[in-house]
Amino acid sequence: MTKFVVKRILYMIPVLFGVAFLVFAILSLTPGDPGTIILGVTAKPENIAALNHEFGFDQPFLIRFFTYMKNLVLHQDMGISYQYRRNVWTFIAEAFPYTLLLAVLSMIVQSILGVSLGIFSAVRQYSTLDRICVVVALVFASIPGFWLGLMLIMFFSIRLKLLPVFGAESLAHFVLPTLTVSLTSAAGTLRLTRSAMLETIRQEYIRTAQAKGASERVIIWKHALRNAMIPVVTSLGTGFGASLGGAIIAETVFSIPGMGRLMVNAINQKDIPMVMGATLFLAFIFSMIVLLVDILYAFIDPRIKEKYKNGGRHRE
Amino acid sequence: MSDEKKLLEVKDLSIAYQTDLETVHAVNHVTFSLNQGETLGLVGETGAGKTTTALGIMGLLPKRTAKITSGNVYYEGKDLLQCGKKEMLGIRGSSISMIFQDPMTALNPVLCVGDQIAETLQLHNAKHLTREEIEAKVDETLELVGIPKERKKEYPYQFSGGMRQRVVIAMALINDPSLLIADEPTTALDVTIQAQILSMICELQRKYKTAVMMITHDLGIVAETCDKVAVMYAGEIVEYGTLEDIFTGDRHHPYTVGLFGSIPSLTRSARRLQPIEGLMPDPTQLPEGCAFAERCRYCQEICRTTKAPVQNDHGHLVRCYFEGQPFAGEED
Repeated sequence: MTKFVVKRILYMIPVLFGVAFLVFAILSLTPGDPGTIILGVTAKPENIAALNHEFGFDQPFLIRFFTYMKNLVLHQDMGISYQYRRNVWTFIAEAFPYTLLLAVLSMIVQSILGVSLGIFSAVRQYSTLDRICVVVALVFASIPGFWLGLMLIMFFSIRLKLLPVFGAESLAHFVLPTLTVSLTSAAGTLRLTRSAMLETIRQEYIRTAQAKGASERVIIWKHALRNAMIPVVTSLGTGFGASLGGAIIAETVFSIPGMGRLMVNAINQKDIPMVMGATLFLAFIFSMIVLLVDILYAFIDPRIKEKYKNGGRHRE
Repeated sequence: MSDEKKLLEVKDLSIAYQTDLETVHAVNHVTFSLNQGETLGLVGETGAGKTTTALGIMGLLPKRTAKITSGNVYYEGKDLLQCGKKEMLGIRGSSISMIFQDPMTALNPVLCVGDQIAETLQLHNAKHLTREEIEAKVDETLELVGIPKERKKEYPYQFSGGMRQRVVIAMALINDPSLLIADEPTTALDVTIQAQILSMICELQRKYKTAVMMITHDLGIVAETCDKVAVMYAGEIVEYGTLEDIFTGDRHHPYTVGLFGSIPSLTRSARRLQPIEGLMPDPTQLPEGCAFAERCRYCQEICRTTKAPVQNDHGHLVRCYFEGQPFAGEED
């Protein structure tokens, strides 16, 4: 198991290097330079050139890239933001907690709603409540996030005056953004859980459990759920990783100063160090989450644990 | 035999699978009984309704599609079809156990075998055993079916097919059931393992006086293990009797004759096997008369229009107008 984890962490190095190179290349290929962006097109060309020189933007692409990587790896320095002239890391450290809180809250709501209703729907397949669940899930999966967010604001904040309209000062501010993010994703989780459960309860070992005299409750919770959880955990895990990139729509609608807004803003301003820093940070977090999900598999399915013991290879 | 206590009595049992489009008559008016400690062989080809009969007794038919359209299943005098859900939970796995056909899929892949065996005991813990006592009983049962008790913490994927079937048998027998339904317990195993598993079932049966309902399509297994035999065809029992009646008697249903004609023999000189021509009738549209008529070489006009009555010869039952056909192999 340790061998597997170490190996996977080593795999992350080329992945992150590749991400860094791609993002750096794309940003460099797009037109525009920091001097012009900061000082404006009407500024004197020598001032623009001086500023570009200060940022090292007059160097060739590969040299800029390797200078950036050298600073990042050797000095843990993500560089200075072009827009704000402050270290990139301070912005990430400010924005990430908001995004993390929103992602964790959404994850909890999404898992509880999606998994429990999915199980219920599968166990009572074709019942009226199952049909309602499936239809409601389809509706929520189809609703655009920004529209749902606006409707929630209209109903809960403006009409009922129960919750704040925007901002991120207290937990109450996070209720509506959490609902906006989790309701749409819970719909997907519900459908996935339902189909995984339906497939599992048709397996022979479920009939064996019935033949032993196990009640429906024991069969669902002890025999079926764990077997049905692999695809659900995969989807929840990658979904969580992705939501750490910032729920851009929810952050915009509710004015939460999270990673999503930080990135969109940085891309608009062609703030290369900021985009690079944020992207690499999120790529790192995402890889770690995927690794955690893979480790979680081992606790769900002993066959996968066995595979990991052999260093990630199948024993034939 | 009649003075022995009847453990299981199936009377006129009919089961149909209903969908929006059609009704499959899987089991039709099946009647048989089983005494304590006895082995009944339920023989027939794929689709004859053997497994459906077994699931009907266990109360494990698919809820939405399967309907029991007639009959009773008496177990120790009590009609299982009238039992409530809770009562059936208490009977399944404790008094009546079942072994399934494919050990590769019959075990839960994420639970270790020891826990799966212990579960049967925990679900019906009538003697209020403590955790240690349950563990001890699991160890004992594992040894009984020939698995070292050290392997109880291992998972199904670490066992071979034959070993998994031993685990399934341990699970079925740990509560000392009085009836064991074995649904083709050796079909998925290779021949040498088949013999081991069968002799183990027989040995345990003798030891615990368990009645066994052996579902199979293999007449060799029937000859080795059974006291009574019921031959099923298209959801009906076409012939029913003791092992001697079926194997040596001289009055048979033409289908039974056909079954024996389809087995290769070592003693007879090498000739072509005589398969039964044709297929089983479509269970959604069973014929008016005898279900076997289409494939029967003794078929007469009357067979196509009316169902033959059951001819009873001292308990040897044959559902045919013209029973008394010799075995195909003995014709010449």
